[in-house]
Amino acid sequence: MTVNITEQIQEKAREILSSGQVELIIGYQRASDGVTARPAFIRKAENVAKLIFDQTCTHNLAKYAIEHRGKSMAIVAKACDTFGINVLIQENQIIREKTYVIGVNCPGVVEVSFGQVGDKLQYRCQICQEHAPAVYDYVAGDPVEEKPLGFDPYIKVKVLEALSQEERIAFWEKHFERCIRCYACRNACPQCYCTECVVEQIDPDWVGIPIQVPEKQIFHVIRAFHLAGRCIGCNECERSCPVGIPLSLMNMKFSQDVEDQFGYKPGRDPEVCAPLATYQPDENLGIGG
Amino acid sequence: MARIGIFLCHCGTNIAGVVNISQVREAVKDIPQVVLVEESKYMCSEMGQGGIREAIEKNKLDRVIISACSPRMHENTFRKTVADAGLNPYLLEIANVREQDSWVHADDKEAATEKAIALTRTAVAKALLNQPLTPKRVGLTKRALVIGGGIAGIQAALDIANAGHPVVLVEREPTIGGRMAQLDKTFPTLDCSSCILTPRMVEANQHPNITIFTYSEVMSVSGFVGNFKVQIRQKARHVDSVKCTGCGICWQKCPDLVPSEFDTGLGGRKIIYVPFAQAIPNVPVIDMPNCRYVKHLEAAKEGKKLPPCRICEKLCPTGAIDWEQEDQVLTEDFGAIVVATGFKPFDYGRYTEFGAGKYPDVIGLLQLERLLSASGPTNGELKRPSDGAHPKTVVFLSCIGSRDERMGKPYCSKVCCMVMAKQAILLKDHDPEIQPYVFYIDVRAGGKDYEEFYQRSQREQGVLWLRGRVSKLYQDNGKVIVMGEDSLMGRPVEIAADLVVMATGMEANDGAVDLAQTLHISYDTHGFMVEAHPKLRPLETNTDGIFLAGTVSGPRDIPETVAQGSGVAAKVLGLFSKDELATDPTVAYVDAMRCTGCFLCAEVCPYGAIDKEPSRDGRLLAKVNESLCKGCGLCVAGCRGNCINLRGFTNQQVIEEIMALCR
Ligand SMILES: Cc1cc2nc3c(=O)[nH]c(=O)nc-3n(C[C@H](O)[C@H](O)[C@H](O)COP(=O)(O)OP(=O)(O)OC[C@H]3O[C@@H](n4cnc5c(N)ncnc54)[C@H](O)[C@@H]3O)c2cc1C
Ligand code: SF4
Ligand code: SF4
Ligand code: SF4
Ligand code: SF4
Ligand code: SF4
Repeated sequence: MTVNITEQIQEKAREILSSGQVELIIGYQRASDGVTARPAFIRKAENVAKLIFDQTCTHNLAKYAIEHRGKSMAIVAKACDTFGINVLIQENQIIREKTYVIGVNCPGVVEVSFGQVGDKLQYRCQICQEHAPAVYDYVAGDPVEEKPLGFDPYIKVKVLEALSQEERIAFWEKHFERCIRCYACRNACPQCYCTECVVEQIDPDWVGIPIQVPEKQIFHVIRAFHLAGRCIGCNECERSCPVGIPLSLMNMKFSQDVEDQFGYKPGRDPEVCAPLATYQPDENLGIGG
Repeated sequence: MARIGIFLCHCGTNIAGVVNISQVREAVKDIPQVVLVEESKYMCSEMGQGGIREAIEKNKLDRVIISACSPRMHENTFRKTVADAGLNPYLLEIANVREQDSWVHADDKEAATEKAIALTRTAVAKALLNQPLTPKRVGLTKRALVIGGGIAGIQAALDIANAGHPVVLVEREPTIGGRMAQLDKTFPTLDCSSCILTPRMVEANQHPNITIFTYSEVMSVSGFVGNFKVQIRQKARHVDSVKCTGCGICWQKCPDLVPSEFDTGLGGRKIIYVPFAQAIPNVPVIDMPNCRYVKHLEAAKEGKKLPPCRICEKLCPTGAIDWEQEDQVLTEDFGAIVVATGFKPFDYGRYTEFGAGKYPDVIGLLQLERLLSASGPTNGELKRPSDGAHPKTVVFLSCIGSRDERMGKPYCSKVCCMVMAKQAILLKDHDPEIQPYVFYIDVRAGGKDYEEFYQRSQREQGVLWLRGRVSKLYQDNGKVIVMGEDSLMGRPVEIAADLVVMATGMEANDGAVDLAQTLHISYDTHGFMVEAHPKLRPLETNTDGIFLAGTVSGPRDIPETVAQGSGVAAKVLGLFSKDELATDPTVAYVDAMRCTGCFLCAEVCPYGAIDKEPSRDGRLLAKVNESLCKGCGLCVAGCRGNCINLRGFTNQQVIEEIMALCR
């Protein structure tokens, strides 16, 4: 099956590159370790043979689409990646007409690290219930059968919620202590595309420069708020964190709240206005009397 | 180095009675860059203001802090004061130590003093970052749009037009006139409603400065005060109004009759019709869904045959019938908009205990107006709907859809008590044998000559006013049995009535909420449009250049409605007396170096003030339309990357204020 998707992608890529429909293909190629995948930028038809797709293709390539906005490009996107693409279309960061989406019916990706390929599906893929791309011009791979989960996708959040406030503060403090403020999480996130992130601004200096727990906590809280109703759960942030902070827990908490309150999941339809950016006169959030 | 002057107002004892002013003076006098602290009993008095001006000049102050009442009260006063002394008015900062302090913390003087110090300190911190700002000037179109051709709209249009400015009057129905055209006589003088209304309608129609678009609606509104762009849809009448002479042959000969909206369903009208004899314009419309020719065309599509009719077309002497006519959309420029779209009567069918609108001899106030009117469906002969008999016992039920939480209508509709008194007197007039009864909660007769009028209905006309509620109505043998109670006598009452009249209250008109949203103005939970201030700015909305007149903002009678129509004209004329408008400089601005063009700001801006402007690399970035922006700051709070800021209230200033509080 993997062979199949790779071939389909290569064939499509060759076709649209040689016809001049796009000038760039953003996809995956084998990494230097010989076993995992890394992003590939293919500009010539003779190089499309480099493209691969298999269960090591973990990156959300939507991030790269922002850098190349304005160009006519094609992007290989798993189902969850297409949600990110939709959010970027909704927020005017990429132009739908110029972006050829090679969607993949994604069987899920496995845990990977440099030189190592695990045999377990990543957690986000274990809880995934939408394996088909939400936006595409072409789809590779056979449709994946959606099976009932059998457990609550937000179970990890619920476990954390069950703790007392003190325990939760202690939990996060323990993690944030280790954060080195490298901003890898933010830089990997396709939804963090600000020209100058507020945590790096100096006038006003919203977040002080020290690498201390309060500053780091504020950074992460700001980011979580900025991602509320926009995070599509690709988990790039957590995967790129060098010290292993479980950022997904924070994002999932917000996703759960937004879904509960507004029945909204980001990136499914770019035409639907994001709930935190709009107001319905008849909406009742249980605030006030 | 700035040179800051602080002025502490006592506001008589309003502030000084709670806040220890000398303690505040001590606490703020040594703040760096403060060169002077002064007090006054009334800072807003001529003497107080004079003191400020003098101090600015003498001490070369370049920042002024006034610790006084809310900026909503005297910001404009003090801005003028400092401007008179040569200082840019936006270098002034007001600390609200009255509404936000002395008034609400009168029980804890020590804490109030502490808070006054804190508020004054934050004002100093903010003022240090204030920048001189200058208003921009824009031109304006001296042409008014009046939406709604009831008496409110007609009055406003006439007054504006008489002052020499062009007015466009847009009315949804085929004629202007509104509800007043449907009334028989009007309280408390009992003059005939159409006799006083129709001259105004004619005057508006003949006025060289007034253009009337009937059968038309406002589709969209963009722009801002002085410079609105409005799309108006003129629905197809299917009659060419240039050719039509209003001879009336068509509506005399049209073969079909449907219930007349104007006669509240009690009489009939033709398919091609004018709503009433004095309609303006006197040009009919064809009610297409009910027209035989349209039905013929539709049947033909399904292969069936129906007679094509087209009698109107055959008989029209000028060939004015136009089956091909289509809706027209006009785009027009206006400087001001008056909303006068009126009300509608409450639907009494919602009261199941009163027959849910199913008993023919239970009617509403407006229906009785039509039955009493000489131009009504019975030519003024009082006949009840079921069998045409002359009723002898008529019972009124007050507060139907008013003062009734159950119906979601807690408010009083204001006119119904007087309408009941009027109609009861008119019933007696028609037939002295009629005995009117009125069940009421209490009688509200506030208004010139109103109480006398109500008394007259009792004393001279023998109308029986019963205090109490009616619990149930049912039909029995040609009568409507009214089961109520007389709460003054403390006993149940049962009356076998020939006719029962529901004193239906006033509701927001159909489409009012949609229109408010199109205009970007506020409306309340009942759909009435909201004034900028209920007492001091009753004719303005929160959007500059858009005004309200008449029952669109709440129940009122004709005198009040007409007064509002004239009042609103004064507001519009005030606006049109200027050749340029100054825009408030405290608006948002975008940092184009940072903006990512996500347009979250545009999504959250309630005033549509964010434009999309191409940057050098072709991407669209946000740009604030300074004439539209109200400086509400929502975009500033919304923008994730802090790329948009508010002049006179920057993020930096807010942070400085917080820092000052924490020090
Ligand atoms: C039964 C009854 C009896 C009354 N008797 C008296 C009396 O005796 N004395 C007295 O002082 N008051 C009386 N009143 C009150 C009086 O009718 C009102 O005060 C008056 O008619 C209000 O005028 P208006 O112009 O505000 O609204 P309306 O008369 O309702 O006029 C509004 C106009 O706007 C039009 N319109 C609505 N929506 C739109 C739209 N979206 N676009 C364009 N046009 C639109 C409507 O078609 C209408 O022509 C009575 C009221 C009732 C119900
Ligand atoms: S954390 Fe917020 S400000 Fe920073 S890049 Fe992400 S969205 Fe932008
Ligand atoms: S916050 Fe993390 S999981 Fe969410 S979209 Fe950004 S990178 Fe993906
Ligand atoms: S990637 Fe990890 S260490 Fe780096 S800033 Fe994010 S949470 Fe902190
Ligand atoms: S919200 Fe901020 S970044 Fe987005 S378009 Fe507006 S100003 Fe630009
Ligand atoms: S300050 Fe308010 S009115 Fe002005 S652009 Fe921002 S959101 Fe719109």
